[in-house]
Amino acid sequence: MSDMMVYRGNPFNEIEELGDGMFRLHMGPQHPISGQGRFIILTDGERVFDIEVDIGYSHRGTEKLLEHRTFIQGIVPVERMVMIDTANILMGYIGAVERILGVEPPPRANYIRTIVMEMNRIISHLYALGLLSESAAWNPAVFLWTTADREPFLDLLEMLTGARWSYSFFVPGGVRADIPRGFKERLLVTLDWFEKRIDVIEEAWIYNELFRMRTEGMGVISRQEAIEWGVAGPNLRASGVAYDTRKNEPYAAYGELDFKMVTHTAGDAYARGWARVEEMRVSVDIIRQAIENMPDGPVRVRVPQRAKPGEALFRVETSRGEMNVYIVSDGKDKPYRVKISPASFRNFLAIEMIPKTQTVLLADAPVLIYSFDPWFLDADR
Amino acid sequence: MNTQEAIEKLKNKFGEKILEASSPRENRLYIKVSNDALVEAAKYLREELGFDMAISAGGTDYPKKNVIELFWIIWSSTDNVTLILKTDVDRENPKIPTLRDIWLGVQKFERETWELLGVEYEGHPNLKPLLLPEDWNEGYPLRKDFKLEPYRAPWGDEEK
Repeated sequence: MSDMMVYRGNPFNEIEELGDGMFRLHMGPQHPISGQGRFIILTDGERVFDIEVDIGYSHRGTEKLLEHRTFIQGIVPVERMVMIDTANILMGYIGAVERILGVEPPPRANYIRTIVMEMNRIISHLYALGLLSESAAWNPAVFLWTTADREPFLDLLEMLTGARWSYSFFVPGGVRADIPRGFKERLLVTLDWFEKRIDVIEEAWIYNELFRMRTEGMGVISRQEAIEWGVAGPNLRASGVAYDTRKNEPYAAYGELDFKMVTHTAGDAYARGWARVEEMRVSVDIIRQAIENMPDGPVRVRVPQRAKPGEALFRVETSRGEMNVYIVSDGKDKPYRVKISPASFRNFLAIEMIPKTQTVLLADAPVLIYSFDPWFLDADR
Repeated sequence: MNTQEAIEKLKNKFGEKILEASSPRENRLYIKVSNDALVEAAKYLREELGFDMAISAGGTDYPKKNVIELFWIIWSSTDNVTLILKTDVDRENPKIPTLRDIWLGVQKFERETWELLGVEYEGHPNLKPLLLPEDWNEGYPLRKDFKLEPYRAPWGDEEK
């Protein structure tokens, strides 16, 4: 028998028996877009004793790739990190590049960016809520609701950028195009319709008895733990930490707009789900303000090709939480080092820590995991 | 507390051990310490100056200077200041005490840096492969002398 025939473990074995009634369960999404990953769960069939998150199945070496590409060539590898949230992810990289090149985008470009990013946030939160309610053993048709609800926004983004996904719309120094004729009217009609949909979503899920029973008091993170573990995004705000990069370190047009920061104090899966519903409402508010107050002027300025030697750190609020991009430049047209710290990478630590601090049942594990809105390609880079 | 006060306090406390300290923009604090004072400086930053939430950690390879510059990025929830704490380690034998006991949030980032840059974090409980395959033995990808040639597409690449 040749060496080729020897397998390290049985690849079809999803459950390993460890003796003493203990099992190791391999659970995880295997999906071409949302990513491959594995949660290794140590259980006795009822209680979860340990969760280990195994990432890296789709590690593309984005940080290394960026060292070999010019600043503008880096756009494509970066935005592939999270297909459903490309605008917010790309903003992190573009913001850091603009900071190291020493350019400021024109005000109109900032407003267009804000609109695109908030539309992306709505799309991403809808997807997260669909998965959360599906994992909470509610009717899986709900996932189809949210998928249908994001369609009008995808159409609007196609009208604006030419693509439904991965728009590559932001470039250093601005955006690729101005808003087309008829976009504003269509956007306002869509927002009016979507606000009614949020009410339906809230009534159907957030006040739903079954959804509450499954999520309330589950996977609680205290304020202290959230800071200690470095939880990010709506998950952090659901634990009572008032951190939103859009407020704390305003970028794009957020500094000039008046909006509310959604915080909860419960810190459980229910609060994390609810925070996302409320954030969609805030996003609608931000888009309305941005489209009304949009200044005139150019949407793109010329930028230098080479950066001065130095370093820059840019923090951005993506849908899954705060991401930061740290760029070191040595004066060439390529970055010397780019460090991207995505939100999911930080949230995975919280998923691992929760079974160590409280009782988690096996039936609750999917709800626990999806309440964090994990995204493997984000963490893998 | 603003960033200038923090720099003064650090310089009074650690003197020569603070190699660089600057605040190029509002809410940013860049501190570089010599590596023998790293743990005390980190404890001081956490307990006295209120930097409590870890948001990133990593390293940059400088083969010409023969060092790897490590960094930890920490946010202060009370003052809304982001700190970039840096230190140099020898490139031939990169060893540094882990800061995971001070900021738990850096645990996964240190594990990743161990894997991709080959930095030994002493006292880290869980240094095992994270992003790369378990049987990877082709070097540390984020080091500057890592050759990309074997991994290039056969139809060529835009950069040679």
